Amino acid sequence: MKIDEFGMDTISFAGTLESKLQAITAAGFSQVMLSARDLVGHPGGVDAAAAAVRDSGLRVTGFQVLRDFEGLSGHLHQYKLDIAKSMIEMCAALGCKVMLACSSTSVHATEDPGKLAQDLRKLAMLAIPHGIRIAFEALSWGRSVNEFTQAWELVCEADCPNLGLGLDSFHVFAAKTALDHIDDLDPERIFLVQLSDFMWQETRSFEERIATARHFRVFPGEGVHSEQLASLVTRLDRLGYRGDYSFEVFNDDYQQLPLDTVARRASRSALWLAEDVLRRSTPLPSRMVLRPNAGGTPAVELR
Amino acid sequence: MSVAAMEREALEPLSNPIGLDGIEYVEYATSKPQALGEVLEMVGFRPVARHRSREVLLYRQGEMNVIVNASAGLVRGTQAPAEAPRISAIALRVRDARAAYERMLERGAWEVPMHAEVMELNIPGIHGPGGAHIYLVDRYREFSIYDVDFSRIPGVDPRPPAVAVQGFFGLVQYIDVARTADWLHFYRELMGFVELPPEQRFGILPKGTLMRSPCGKFFLQLIEPDPRADSESSQEMYQRLGLGASDVPAAVRELRKRGVEFVESAGLRAEERGALTRAYLGSVMFELVHVAVA
Repeated sequence: MKIDEFGMDTISFAGTLESKLQAITAAGFSQVMLSARDLVGHPGGVDAAAAAVRDSGLRVTGFQVLRDFEGLSGHLHQYKLDIAKSMIEMCAALGCKVMLACSSTSVHATEDPGKLAQDLRKLAMLAIPHGIRIAFEALSWGRSVNEFTQAWELVCEADCPNLGLGLDSFHVFAAKTALDHIDDLDPERIFLVQLSDFMWQETRSFEERIATARHFRVFPGEGVHSEQLASLVTRLDRLGYRGDYSFEVFNDDYQQLPLDTVARRASRSALWLAEDVLRRSTPLPSRMVLRPNAGGTPAVELR
Repeated sequence: MSVAAMEREALEPLSNPIGLDGIEYVEYATSKPQALGEVLEMVGFRPVARHRSREVLLYRQGEMNVIVNASAGLVRGTQAPAEAPRISAIALRVRDARAAYERMLERGAWEVPMHAEVMELNIPGIHGPGGAHIYLVDRYREFSIYDVDFSRIPGVDPRPPAVAVQGFFGLVQYIDVARTADWLHFYRELMGFVELPPEQRFGILPKGTLMRSPCGKFFLQLIEPDPRADSESSQEMYQRLGLGASDVPAAVRELRKRGVEFVESAGLRAEERGALTRAYLGSVMFELVHVAVA
């Protein structure tokens, strides 16, 4: 119950999809973030992978990741449109409601904010019939969008109900974006929060950020930004964010550890956030709903 | 270009961007076309034509066209229709189908692969709710699309008059929890639909959110699941067809004579504002809605 808000990401583990799902469940988590590779790399194909996810009983936090979508023109735009549609179809096959799209790194993409917003609007429209929300995330090495404040501006400019922000603590810390800006966000339009930390203070160049992001992330509480991470989470909580937190931890060492060892580290991280940072010792008020019973009087229920 | 000329061109596209002009037809998919045909005939529709290459029948009364599609595997890999009929498509009349189609795709609509046989019409379409398609038709004034793809059933009046009702009022669309804003955006952005204020309501089932087509000829009603009912399916779909009647009690009397049963319960009964038929074949119901005579 305490760590219901937190989930693991399959990218933290080595092994098969089934063994990852099993390790995540055994560590007490109830949700999982999936990558397209989990599906297409499954020996039984996409349908078998989707069935394995359903059988695990885990809720799918989100599906990742669509890259370099916005800002392209001509045949490049048409190509990315096809990729986006295939990703949306896979996301829908999983019964997943959130798809992550990260800001473009492409040198072929325009930097015109009007065109970027227009493309995001189109992406969001593609997702509507499938019941999917698009979480747009600023990669800290994105070409023209590399801080969440810029991603948020585009989300506001595009102005679609199913387009929101994906917030990743790694990129916030790597780009050294001031956490004060979180207070300017609309909590209803934050569709996903991914948490991780890393072991050094500075990542000055884009190359350094990329290397750190892809190989040296650690779970919250294990890195050198614990204080900022706690601040980020409490700010989001105070703002009214009641969505999911997913551990986005790419780490080469964790890729060669037993799965239950990695999952235990994640579980310890979730408990730190739940108990020490957010002080969730009792069921969350946000998880209680008022609903009238047969007699018409409201009864409090736990979801 | 002069300012006056720009204004002249901008005027209509702003209010009705694809030149929407009503519903051309509503299509049901079912593996039991005869059973659905009997229900449609009870409500006043008559079979008037058969598709040239597929198991598809055209029913008509007055200005309303309903297509019953029982053909399996139109597109390679697609499944045969289920037994319980569902509204699988609506076709909208537009000023220029190609222009409307391209405009919608440009804004992120999802195209339906075309699958016309030789000498058949290639009708462009986009994905709507729950796998239903929204087709675009611009040839409805000078000639009928049915003259190309359908053969008339011999000895049958091709234009049977409407029984009891005047025309399509609109469609009720069931949507998932917290999806009203998404679908409002979809219809507004792609087709120029306008949300009506909550106090503007029609018929006897005023739940949800109502949108008016930019041509003013029909309505869409978006309904989220009732939060008090745990068991309700979250499946999104066009759930039922609304038929406009200038005199609902008279229409109810007439349709009852033809065998149609209406829902009569403590909270819901046929009255002047509207009426609801019982569900036939597990899924097919019609709602009568009072409309003023033009």
